[in-house]
Amino acid sequence: MKVLIVEDEMRLGQFLRQGLSEHAHTANWVQTCRGANDALVETKYDLIVLDLSLPDGDGIELVREWRASGFNEPVLILSARDSLEDRIKGLDVGADDYLPKPFSLEELLARMRALLRRQSVTKQTVLERNGVKLDLLGHTVHVNGEAVDLTGREYALLEIFMQNAGRVLTRTLISEKIWSSHYEVDTNLLDVYMSRLRAKLEGALGKPVFKTVRGIGYQFL
Amino acid sequence: MRSISARLTFWYALSATVTLAILFLAGYQLLESRLIHGLDQLNEAEFRQLKEHLGADYQHLNSQAMDERIRDTSESSSVLFYIAIEHPKTDIKFKSRNLQGREIPDIKGKRAYSASMEGIGDLRVDEFLLAPFDVTIATSARSVHDGMREYVKVCAALLLAMLVASIGIGLGLSRLLLRPIRAIRETANRIGSDNLSERIPVADLNDEVTDLARLLNQMFDRLESAFDQIRRFSDEASHELKTPLSLVRLHAEKMLRDGDLPPAHAEAVLVQIEELARLNQIIDEMLFLSRAEAKAIRIDLKPHDPARFLETFNQDARALAEHSGRRYVATHKGRGRAVFEEKWVRQVLLNLLTNALNASPPTGLVSLRSELKGGLWRVSVEDEGPGLPANQRERIFERFVRFNTSLNGDRGSGLGLTISRSIISLHGGRIFAAPANGEQGLRVTFEIPSLVAETSVAA
Repeated sequence: MKVLIVEDEMRLGQFLRQGLSEHAHTANWVQTCRGANDALVETKYDLIVLDLSLPDGDGIELVREWRASGFNEPVLILSARDSLEDRIKGLDVGADDYLPKPFSLEELLARMRALLRRQSVTKQTVLERNGVKLDLLGHTVHVNGEAVDLTGREYALLEIFMQNAGRVLTRTLISEKIWSSHYEVDTNLLDVYMSRLRAKLEGALGKPVFKTVRGIGYQFL
Repeated sequence: MRSISARLTFWYALSATVTLAILFLAGYQLLESRLIHGLDQLNEAEFRQLKEHLGADYQHLNSQAMDERIRDTSESSSVLFYIAIEHPKTDIKFKSRNLQGREIPDIKGKRAYSASMEGIGDLRVDEFLLAPFDVTIATSARSVHDGMREYVKVCAALLLAMLVASIGIGLGLSRLLLRPIRAIRETANRIGSDNLSERIPVADLNDEVTDLARLLNQMFDRLESAFDQIRRFSDEASHELKTPLSLVRLHAEKMLRDGDLPPAHAEAVLVQIEELARLNQIIDEMLFLSRAEAKAIRIDLKPHDPARFLETFNQDARALAEHSGRRYVATHKGRGRAVFEEKWVRQVLLNLLTNALNASPPTGLVSLRSELKGGLWRVSVEDEGPGLPANQRERIFERFVRFNTSLNGDRGSGLGLTISRSIISLHGGRIFAAPANGEQGLRVTFEIPSLVAETSVAA
């Protein structure tokens, strides 16, 4: 995947370019609004990672201009400003996702994948992995053919993991999807639901289903 | 009276009507004395005529002769005049027939006066001297009274019309006068933290109202720059702190991912990552507080049903309590809706719950009581922990103030309750701590305004 990084901070930009390259992405890095526009004229990108405070302009204005001129590639905003206001503004002008700093590379990669998947949706109605079967239409879960009773929150949690099987999901990402806010990160609510879900699935399966990635999040094996 | 316009109208109408009434009263006096003066002149004219008829030798006339000379004249004017002529020493006398033998009332010491006579009514009496005779001529004052009555009627009607007209004019005038003030009020009302750049339109004049508008605009200028400073600080601080934080976190994670670290070092890096998250939380919370204090946080206040909101919250609360081995009970009373934004109140409740769970002894009970009553939604969270003495209870809402932290290894920032207080005050409510009902424990309660249940009777 070809990614354009627009980030004015030198070391962060370098790190991101290198990090994305290591994960098999072709990353180009520019530091200004102007540089971004020039790069976009030159080549086509699959995704743009955009910092909001740039030396020659505001990232939000840039997205507005792009969308107004019919440029439709997914844009992921990277910002230090974490007030809800900015978040809504960014998404209103047509950005596709928003990642508050400080973030983890895992999280950035997960969100980038999610954005690209949004582009090419092949809707499955039944997800299955490691003996766990989740029916999206019937809202049922079976482990080795046996029905498992899950609460609403547990079901939502499992669905997010099965949609992203094999990937590390960060606490912020999960929290935002389930509670549409990430305040819960500060309580241990997420860990509580994870341990319940684990007990139910691993009890029936007899082997671990999730891996805890300390300081970052969880992974559905 | 609540509005200036009503007060202005009232005083305007009152003063206009009272002024007119005083003028009418003065007019009444003038007109009456004028009309009475007319009667006096009539009486005098009659006297002159009588004198003529009596002739030059009137001093020597007896009653009979006098009668002969003036009876005809007095008869011909009997519709108008009552006449009596007397000699104070002799009994020479003349009385016009229309007196029918009665005396004209006399007021000693007055030569012109008003009096009343039975069977005839009010009279205007004038006494003339025709030595040695006293001539008394009276004429009916009915015409004057009739005239005055008409005058009063007309005046009353005019006063009423004046009252109505002055209320109308007063209302119109006060509207006109207050129009610039209304414009100021509307604009000032519209100016909030999200459109601080709007200003009150100032007309190109130099009167009291435009002065006021200019002063207010200057005040808004100062407010706006103060707001901008806080916003800019908050944005800049955020940016300056978070970019390095990102780098530290990214590098720490890279170290872990690349492997090859001895277990002790890996553990140290993990601790770093966890502490970074904590640091980030403190930064977010402090920036939130500085924005909240500047009222730069936008809250989307809408009526919600607390019962339904709590239903969702209770799921999570029960899970948290169960996980920590404590019990959780929630009750809700009352119907209706409270005005709040769900995510903020949820954050407050989660904070109160976390504190209560941390303070509770193992298997302790945490109870949430919610009630809609008297225009308030009151929610209290109570624990069975050690509680706090009164002086500490006052202080728990201050920044970085923590008590009983050693108990459960509390990892909070010490800003949770400060933030809760900000959130509740942004909702127009209040939050306070009190001892719990039982022997020990703490109860934290918040109240925010609610709407009265519309269906409490119907259902």
